[in-house]
This record gives sequence, C-alpha cells and structure tokens, in this order.
Amino acid sequence: MTGSPEAGSVSDARLASVLDTAVDAILVINERGEILVFNKACEKLFGYTPEEAIGQNVRMIMPTGYADRHEGYIDNFLRTGHRKIIGIGREVHAIHRDGTEFPVELSVGEAFTPDGRQFIGIIRDLRPRKEQERRVNELQADLVHIARVSAMDEMGAALAHELNQPLTAIMLYLQAATRTLARAQENQVVPGDSFRQVLDKAVHEAERAGNIISRMRHFVEKRDPHRRAVDLNAVVDEAVELTLLGQRLPPRIERDYGENLPSAVVDPVQIQQIVVNLLRNAFEAVRDRPGPTVTIRTARVRDMLTVTVSDNGPGLNPGVVPTLFKAFSTSKRTGMGLGLSISRTIAQNHAGDLTVEPGGNGRGASFTLHLPVTSAVSQDDDEDKVGDVAAGKAGA
Amino acid sequence: MGILGASVTVHILEDDPGVSDSLQTYMKGLGHEAVVYRDAESFFGREPPAASDTIIVDLFLPGIGGAKVIGWLMGLKNPPRVIAISGQAQSVIDRQLSGVAGNFDILRKPLSPHTIAQMV
Repeated sequence: MTGSPEAGSVSDARLASVLDTAVDAILVINERGEILVFNKACEKLFGYTPEEAIGQNVRMIMPTGYADRHEGYIDNFLRTGHRKIIGIGREVHAIHRDGTEFPVELSVGEAFTPDGRQFIGIIRDLRPRKEQERRVNELQADLVHIARVSAMDEMGAALAHELNQPLTAIMLYLQAATRTLARAQENQVVPGDSFRQVLDKAVHEAERAGNIISRMRHFVEKRDPHRRAVDLNAVVDEAVELTLLGQRLPPRIERDYGENLPSAVVDPVQIQQIVVNLLRNAFEAVRDRPGPTVTIRTARVRDMLTVTVSDNGPGLNPGVVPTLFKAFSTSKRTGMGLGLSISRTIAQNHAGDLTVEPGGNGRGASFTLHLPVTSAVSQDDDEDKVGDVAAGKAGA
Repeated sequence: MGILGASVTVHILEDDPGVSDSLQTYMKGLGHEAVVYRDAESFFGREPPAASDTIIVDLFLPGIGGAKVIGWLMGLKNPPRVIAISGQAQSVIDRQLSGVAGNFDILRKPLSPHTIAQMV
C-alpha cells in the first residue's frame, strides 16, 4: 500500500493505476483516521482532489453525526476487535464538498502494514439505486391503485344497484310527503307525526346512499401510501362491509375476530384491498354451492397478526396453485388476474405474506394474510440502529 | 286509485327495507292497501291475490326469485296486475325474465313515483 517503504515503485505505479481505474471510490485510512489513499472515483464522488484529501481526517467526507462518532468506532474496534462493519459492509451516509449528504454503500477491509493497521474503504454511490427504488415504489403504488379501481369497476354494476335502492326510497318518501302537504293545503286533516317520520326516513335513506359513496370513494381515491397504527379488526370489518355492498345475495358471513389484538402498523386501504380481493374470490367460489359460507378470522400467531378468509367451496384446482400469485394468470372469465399477485406484493411490502391452503376433497380454499405485530420500523429508527451498531455497542 | 280511482290492494315483494317501506308509505298515501313481503316464500304463504290486486315484485329476491313469482302469477286463471322492479343492468333483467311470458310491466330503479302510481 501507499506509504509502505518496502513497496517498489513499479508496484506502486501499478497499484495507483488499479485504484484510479476502479469505478468505485476507494480510500485507505490509518488507525487515526487519516486519509492515505484517495482514488479518482473518490475525487468525483466527494469533490476533493487527492492532494486536498490525503493527510486529512476521513471525517471530512462524513456527515457531522457520523464524523463525531467515527473515531469512537475505530477506538472501539481497536480495543475490542468487535467487527461491526469490517468485512460486512453497510449503508451509511457521506457528504460531498458542497455539503450534499447522500447514501452510500460502504465496505471496509483491514490490512496490517509495517506502518500499522490500515483500513480500506470501498464506497459506492447509492443515489442511482435509490432513485430506481423510488421509481419502482411509485409504479407499484400506481399499480396497486389501478387494481383497486379495477376491483371497484368489476363491482360497479352491483354498486349502482346498491345506490338505486336508497334513491328509490328517497323519491317515494318525498313524493308521499309532497302529497300529504298538498292535502294539508286543502285543509284536510293530516297526521303531523307521520309526516315528520316520512321525512326522517328519507333523510336516513339519503345517509345510506352517502355512506355507500364514501366507502367507495375512500377505497378508490388515489393517495400516497400511508402507514399508521390501526385496529386490524376494524380495518377488516370495513372491507367486509365494502365487499357486501356489491353483493345482492351474499353467502353467510362468519366473523371470528381475535380479541385484544395489538394494533398493526399498515396502510389500512391497502390491507382492505387484500381483504376485499380475498372475499370476492371466496364469494365466487361458494356461489351456487349449498349453504354458501365464508369465514373471516383474525388472530395473533406468535409475532404475526393473521387474517384468514376461508370458504366452503370446492377448493382450488391443483393445476392453478403454482401460478396462483402470478400476474395475469387467471382462471376466471372476468378480471385481469392481478388481484392475488398484487395482494401478495402489498403483504410483502408490509413485511408480511399471503399464503394459501388450496383445500379440495370436500374442503374449501383458505387464504391467510400475515402481518408483523411490530411492522416496519420507520426509516429514522432504522438509521439510528445502524449508527448504534456501527458505534459498536460492543458491551451488549 | 285512492283519489283518482278505486282503492286496490298492493302486494309488495321486496327485501330491501328502505324500498319496501317507502313503497308502502307511498301506496298508502295514494289511498291503497299495501302489504309488504320480505321474500316470495312469505307471499306464497298467504292466500292467492285477487285479480283486482296489484303485485310489485323485485326481481332479485333471496330464495325464490322474482321471475318465478311472476311466472306463477301469470299462470293464474285471472292474473292480477304485475309490476316487476329491478335495479340490475338490462342484460341481467333480460336473463332473469327469459322464458317468462305474460302481460306485466318492468320498471327499473330508481323508480319514478309518478309512473308507478299510474300503473297501480
């Protein structure tokens, strides 16, 4: 390595050439954190020339928080030999000369030289990857939304019918009220109480129509995914009600909700999307079956919350099971075959999963949504944790 | 009709409580007798309607469907006036009523109170 008196000039030149050819930023520091090697990619990434950087403390390319702790990390490692980053590599933040902070992937190796121990850092800019991830997330959110709208579209005719009921009732009540009013104006005796009752009923029906609209709107409106702590049973129940809206002749619904479940940190609309999808599939499976029944069960199983939707239909055809969660592979006449694929994606984005017991031989299918009890730690918490680990809370 | 003509007995077969109650209220307001049945089974449990009665039947009833009820009514010696009501798509209505012959009307929801008043 640079600075080694034994290193011949030829191999020095070769090494320098290798370092400068590398796409990744590579730097070498000593035990005191002084920069010994700073390659071309480093120059591009951080905005300092090797002349400016070499001899400086490596904290110059670290954000304040890390920089303050970095010496502590090195000391800690030297004292305890506890490896938290060496040979592992992790995501940290770096800072450019112009003050821009950005995410990098840092891998650290150590070398024993006659001049003492040295650390070699290889740094890769994570911004392009982050941007790509952001884009993928955005597209995925769009797709999830489209699937939700598509589900609502498939339910559309039934929902229109559902709205027709209160509208019909409102018109009839109001017409009846108008007639009563007309008679009152002709000085006929009319019962005031029943007049008011009729108007109250009309209001009630209008509220019913409004509730149907707001349920639908809540479900299809495009908004950014938002996770918060929610009562899973309430979220599931709302999804059941939403699905029932579009069902004129629903199967028997058995709700077996676990009591005192811890709250789940989820995007409630996305979770409802999964449940609506599972319920609609179940409803379809039991149509034209004797005593059609769909059971919805919520429970806590160790550190996971589960929502299970089972039906007493014929079970799944073994042929469809392998491709069940693949997009565009549908065994149904209508729909895009996106429901289960997107449902599983949503579940996995929540650090959970969607699994199936296909049933058959007299047993219906059963789908289970698994969600972690303590869902996705927020980004900030995550970074803190990295900091702590890197700081080598070696005592722990 | 009550005010315009003779009072008749209206049998309302409708499972939606809002729709059946408002129909009953409206029909009574017009001076008719109005009886509500939540399903076809309870309608069949009563004595058959008179030829002078009017039956308003929702096509999408739980259990025995509205189309079956209409078919049965049309087969009576002196069939009463029958008005089928439905909030479903036309294609669904056509499918439900295929094979049901006879003289009856179809009204789609939301119902026009004026139209249904004239029909009764």
